[in-house]
Amino acid sequence: MKGQIFRLCLLIFTIAIALPYAATAKGGHPELSDQEKLTPCAQCHKEATPDIYKEWYDSVHGIANVKCFQCHGTYEDLKTSPDETSCAACHNAQYMKRPQNKKCWECHPAHHFFIHK
Amino acid sequence: MGLSRREFIKRTAALTAASYVGMNLPFSNEESAHAADADTWHKGTCRLCGSGCRLELGVKNGKAVALRGIPESRTNKGYLCMKGMLFYKLMGDNHPERLKKPLYRAKKDQPFKEISWDEALDIAAKEFAKAVKKYGNDSVAYYGSGQALTEETYIFQKVMRGGLQTNNVEGNPRLCMASAVGGYITSFGADEPIGSYTNFERASCFFIIGSNTAEAHPVLFRRIMRRKLDNKDTVKVINADPRVSPTSRIADLHLQFEPGTDLALLNAMAYVILEERLYDEDFITNYAVFRMGKEKKQVDFNQYKAFVKDYSPEKVAKICGGNITPEKIKKAARWFAKSEGTMSIWTMGINQRKRGVWANNLIHNLHILTGQLCKPGADSFSLTGQPNACGGVREGGGLCHILPAHRLVKKDKLRHEVEKLWGIPEGRIPPKPGYHTVAMFEAVNQGKIKAIWINCTSPAQSLPNCDKYRKGMKREDVFMVVTDIFPTKTTELANLILPTAFIFEKTGVYGCTERRSQLTVKAVDAPGEAKPEVWIVREWALRLAKELNDPVIKKCVEPFLGKEPDYALPKAIWDEYTQKLTKGRDNDLRGATYEVLEQLPDGVQWPAPTKEWALKGGTDIKFVRGLDPLADKHAKNDLPYQFYGPAHPDKKLWIWLRPQKGPEEMPDSEYPFYLSTGRIIDHWHTSSMTGRIVELMRANPYAYVEINPKDAEKLGIKPGDMVEVVSRRGRNVLPAKVYVGPCEGMVFVYWHDQDEERMINRVTKDAFDPGSKEPEFKICACRIKKVSGPKPLKPFLVQMKA
Repeated sequence: MKGQIFRLCLLIFTIAIALPYAATAKGGHPELSDQEKLTPCAQCHKEATPDIYKEWYDSVHGIANVKCFQCHGTYEDLKTSPDETSCAACHNAQYMKRPQNKKCWECHPAHHFFIHK
Repeated sequence: MGLSRREFIKRTAALTAASYVGMNLPFSNEESAHAADADTWHKGTCRLCGSGCRLELGVKNGKAVALRGIPESRTNKGYLCMKGMLFYKLMGDNHPERLKKPLYRAKKDQPFKEISWDEALDIAAKEFAKAVKKYGNDSVAYYGSGQALTEETYIFQKVMRGGLQTNNVEGNPRLCMASAVGGYITSFGADEPIGSYTNFERASCFFIIGSNTAEAHPVLFRRIMRRKLDNKDTVKVINADPRVSPTSRIADLHLQFEPGTDLALLNAMAYVILEERLYDEDFITNYAVFRMGKEKKQVDFNQYKAFVKDYSPEKVAKICGGNITPEKIKKAARWFAKSEGTMSIWTMGINQRKRGVWANNLIHNLHILTGQLCKPGADSFSLTGQPNACGGVREGGGLCHILPAHRLVKKDKLRHEVEKLWGIPEGRIPPKPGYHTVAMFEAVNQGKIKAIWINCTSPAQSLPNCDKYRKGMKREDVFMVVTDIFPTKTTELANLILPTAFIFEKTGVYGCTERRSQLTVKAVDAPGEAKPEVWIVREWALRLAKELNDPVIKKCVEPFLGKEPDYALPKAIWDEYTQKLTKGRDNDLRGATYEVLEQLPDGVQWPAPTKEWALKGGTDIKFVRGLDPLADKHAKNDLPYQFYGPAHPDKKLWIWLRPQKGPEEMPDSEYPFYLSTGRIIDHWHTSSMTGRIVELMRANPYAYVEINPKDAEKLGIKPGDMVEVVSRRGRNVLPAKVYVGPCEGMVFVYWHDQDEERMINRVTKDAFDPGSKEPEFKICACRIKKVSGPKPLKPFLVQMKA
């Protein structure tokens, strides 16, 4: 029995490690068909990354309909970690006076976007 | 009710296998630009709604590379929505599908061929002149846009009226805010809102009715959201709408009524205000009178009370259906009346109704009764959908019954005033208003209009019951010029397509929802041979003058001859309009010169009669002494508010007795559902622009039909199933979105999709408000039926056939 549990854990661990690297496209996103690329990010991520989806949905960005692609780009230019200039599109005054040694989300946690950590 | 991940993957996999291998999107994705890469930044206004968000365009090596908000701007405070962030991708040579050469075909079944500008302008002039000579002045027409710059609308209407002697000058704002105009004029005596966006941060109660602000005006919604989140317990938000939308997320109270029962609901709120003595007696005594009927007969307060008696919350809750209870109506009325400052907000849910003007009046009634006007946070505020519907069309004379600066065509004195200011003979402008939009395209159908110029809009898609009007536009004996930046459903029907410059590729002013005029100066070159409209109209008018041997046509553009088109020409037009035409009018803009506008991060709110006043930003709240220079100028007594609006000789606010009136077409056994239409955040209007930005197209590649889960269950419809939506006029087949959005018995469709199968204006109804002539897009009857399970779908945009 113990052996079975161990083997099962090993299998899950292996899948968890391997999965993100399987068929990855630009920006680390799994490869998608053209049809799948016409799906709004949040529709799939609601299920694929439910915690992040919920954080975003309950944040001011979620209420104000600031969507995934506005920070992360779309498939051809996808960035897991956004370029900070995308923050500046709306928060230019804050961007210009930000501490140079920190990323925006070090003080305003990603997907929660509290005023400060 | 969304798809499970498993179901989603299963379906998309099946669809992919079916037919999507190698599918090409109808656009290319440009290299993503980084804002930091820009060499220079140029101030301007967003192109893609009526909020008037100010932004800066980043330019590198002459190419548009980024957009960012201007934090000092009083409209958006630096925030942009996804459309505002991304529309630089349409500028200059960034987009391969931009129209770059004039295109012509003599017959509409022929392919277009490229021609020179000289040839194009000659053809346009000859065809219009031919129609005038053979069929008279009213056989020609201009159909413009709330997206055209003020300078463009102004010069077009000047040439049509002063030159071609017709008031056949219309525009798509007829389709969106004509009822708001009618409401403001009949209730307050003056068009456009009294207050400003500043009330978003001062209001204690928001009454949002018939507006999905979160998607249609996302940056303004952010301000309301911020106000609510910062004052969770003290600021109340009421959202009244037959459809639960993203706007409902911040609502304390959602009033979900059946479509078309809004007038009863508003009268019931007035009932509660009277019954519980929540009205402001002093305000009513000092500033208001009661009126009824076509004759505008004045009645007294008791007669109004007797009228409202018929709208008890108990009775109206039954009329409204949905989730409406008498308690909810009472709660809404109490919050409205008792708050420190109540701000009503609405758009097309109110305006696009058979009795849209009445619905507007009934909202204004609530504000007048409770004195919720002119004080901080209190306003009856119609949001406008297009960037220059207010500034260009309402103020610039872009509709068939109005001349520049809020002058009515039918008033001899005002018409002659304009003729004198233009230096043309008295009597040159005909006294009879032209065709309003639906009548204009009906006249096209009947062959009464022989030459029409459609500028910066796509009526082939945006008119209600559009198949009916496309028939006319297809007629070989109707010559059609279309000026635009991309191919549309309307360019498909044109004889002559003229490529125009986009915003930031030309110079001019947009006037947004809050009476604010804002300048955008050219920052990048237009692609190919695309030209600013002001140049096109001037050159066309000179040719028209020759063709018709009429020096007065030339006189109309004489002040603008020799001016270079990128700055000096629009400036000369703006100077004429503001310095001559707005002088002494309620939208006095003499202080808002290009020089002043260029100094400000945003712009100027009229009235702004002097440069000094304009440099302060102009007038935040109209009619308040000390805040509005015209309130002081026109003061008749010592009262703090002076309602000097030109349409009310008694200088009073008018509370109207307006009964409940349902839509033109009610559901019945054959067509048992209400159909309503609206916007989705990622797209704008007919998606001719937003559909060409890959991020936006992917976010919402096609229109859906939203169906309430209870109705879907009854009809066996599952998410993604293909559903037929049929009315007495047309049919669509769309994928189903099943969720608790529309109320039971109602379906909702986004109207941006250009695909023939999903273009919902083939289904909507062209009934219109008898007062404002605005069509009732928001309600008609339909039936729905599942036709198949999920099917492969492609996004669709009209492409130019070589």
